[in-house]
Amino acid sequence: MKIQNGWLHLIKSAIEDFRRNKVRTLLTSLGIMIGVLSVVLLIALGLGLKNYLAQQFESLGANLIIIFPGNIAGEDDGGISNFGAGFAGGASFDEKDLISLSKINEAEYVVPLFMKSLVIETESGRKLGYVMGSNADSFKLLNLDLLEGEIFSDGDVSTRAKKVVLGEGLADGLFDKPEDAVGKTIRISEQRYKVIGVYKKKGDQQQDNAAVLPYKTTFGTLNPDETFFTLYLGTTDENEVDLIKEKANDILLRRYNKDDFTVTEQTEILSTVNQIFNIVNGILLAIGSISLIVGGIGIMNIMYATVTERTKEVGIRRAVGATENDILKQFLTESLLLSLFGGILGLFLASLIVLGIRVFFPASINLLAVIISFVVSSAIGVFFGVFPARRAAKLPPIEAIRYE
Amino acid sequence: MIKLQNVSKSYFLGSEEVKAVDDISLTIKEKEFIGILGSSGSGKSTLMHIIGLLEQPTSGKVMMDEKDVSKLDDSQLSKIRNKTVGFVFQSFNLINRFTVFENILLPTKYAKENLDFDPATRADELLQRFGIYDRRNFFPNKISGGQQQRVAIARALIMRPKIILADEPTGNLDSKTGDEIIDILKGLNKEFGVTVILVTHEHDIAVKTKRQIYIRDGRIVNKYL
Repeated sequence: MKIQNGWLHLIKSAIEDFRRNKVRTLLTSLGIMIGVLSVVLLIALGLGLKNYLAQQFESLGANLIIIFPGNIAGEDDGGISNFGAGFAGGASFDEKDLISLSKINEAEYVVPLFMKSLVIETESGRKLGYVMGSNADSFKLLNLDLLEGEIFSDGDVSTRAKKVVLGEGLADGLFDKPEDAVGKTIRISEQRYKVIGVYKKKGDQQQDNAAVLPYKTTFGTLNPDETFFTLYLGTTDENEVDLIKEKANDILLRRYNKDDFTVTEQTEILSTVNQIFNIVNGILLAIGSISLIVGGIGIMNIMYATVTERTKEVGIRRAVGATENDILKQFLTESLLLSLFGGILGLFLASLIVLGIRVFFPASINLLAVIISFVVSSAIGVFFGVFPARRAAKLPPIEAIRYE
Repeated sequence: MIKLQNVSKSYFLGSEEVKAVDDISLTIKEKEFIGILGSSGSGKSTLMHIIGLLEQPTSGKVMMDEKDVSKLDDSQLSKIRNKTVGFVFQSFNLINRFTVFENILLPTKYAKENLDFDPATRADELLQRFGIYDRRNFFPNKISGGQQQRVAIARALIMRPKIILADEPTGNLDSKTGDEIIDILKGLNKEFGVTVILVTHEHDIAVKTKRQIYIRDGRIVNKYL
């Protein structure tokens, strides 16, 4: 015969008890459930956010040099302390900078970008959109494909042609069908522009709802300062990136101070963003951990109550041959299962929520999150179960058996 | 097989020392049917707990099969309780959240060696022998006191122990049912040679054993007065 004292008996006995105390079991594991739920959700959202950003940057195409005002991730302090300040101060780029940067032969295209959020009107309706001032290369830069019509030319830029290319989202909002927009006229700040093309949706809220105009056309009413928000330099040759950055830096230093602008590439921005996310994730993880600890204390509390309630049973078990260790194992199994139950519940709930928000955000549950929720909830069950289980194991058999 | 040498057990009630068992020496041989008789508070239950290895004496020596049990650790003591001794209590002490059948099997869950019998088969045999097979899947609080005590005896027997320790087994039963329980214990001693140690305060019951020991104030006295 096999030895009868298996884990099976312990697990069966524990589950039997849970079944008898359904409400108590559920309430006790609730703490762990919330803890695991929040930790798993945080991991899922953090991961989703990273994926989202990576996607955004990827849509810009490779080998992109980005120039913007202020000093983000300054090499001097190597930190991210100036992140917020960078957008507020610094240089305002204008057409002069665009012309001087165009002299860098290695750069295949130089794209300025001006952007403003404005109401765009037609005869039939109005919608809030993003007005962008740029040049013909911007469509290449943003990897935009035409749905209908055509894009404006460099000639349109110099002649300040009153032409506009709409994003599919914006066109869809203003006209019955996005394709209908071509040939129609729209009004922005009382100025009329002719729609010459519509480009396809890409899933980016800003891009899809943009009205792209030749940058010179925006000068005046829309862009009275005649400045740009960002300048982009592009190349298909990866090896040229450092040289272009160096040249751009030299050119801009003739006009601006070192701290007034930043020349960077998308991978650098990505790593800065990652750094910020690691900090945010750390903080959120700490919050999740606190709820797990509180949940663990809840389990400890209920296990102490269970030990008291079953003092007589412990005495009986000891009388028929259970060792201290057997009793310890019995109560540890119970707290472990209780905690694991909460963990699985939390994981399940988190999966449902993630499934729900996936519709508009690329959150995902990975193996790490699953492993973490199992390991953490087991560890909490054992850690917080040890103290009550030790008390049960150390009960003097005779006193325990007489307990009523 | 069981030998007590100058065994004492004392408790502290506040600062006052109470001697529950006071310098008792006693030898119980194999296959004996012995009655320990004493009024309540005489120390007879404490004596039984010491014999059953549920309590350690304050002083003196307890020898079981020529082994000094005071030198054994928890796992060795538990093993003896599991294999060699079977307890029957006044208040039955069944676990109410387990069925009759599961209660009887409980000791087998703590066997540290392979069993040479099938626990379920043996449990069913015992249920049949004691006429409670139809109560097999009942919970203890749904059956009568006499039936509960039979379950407790079946539980005590499942591991084929050499000794049965019965502490006031009839105390919670009417006299007819009590007599039936005593007959069962008598039969175990007679048929299977199990050593039965019966603790009671009732003289009528004690006389059914083959040898009686009288306890008063923790000491063995010559006659029950």
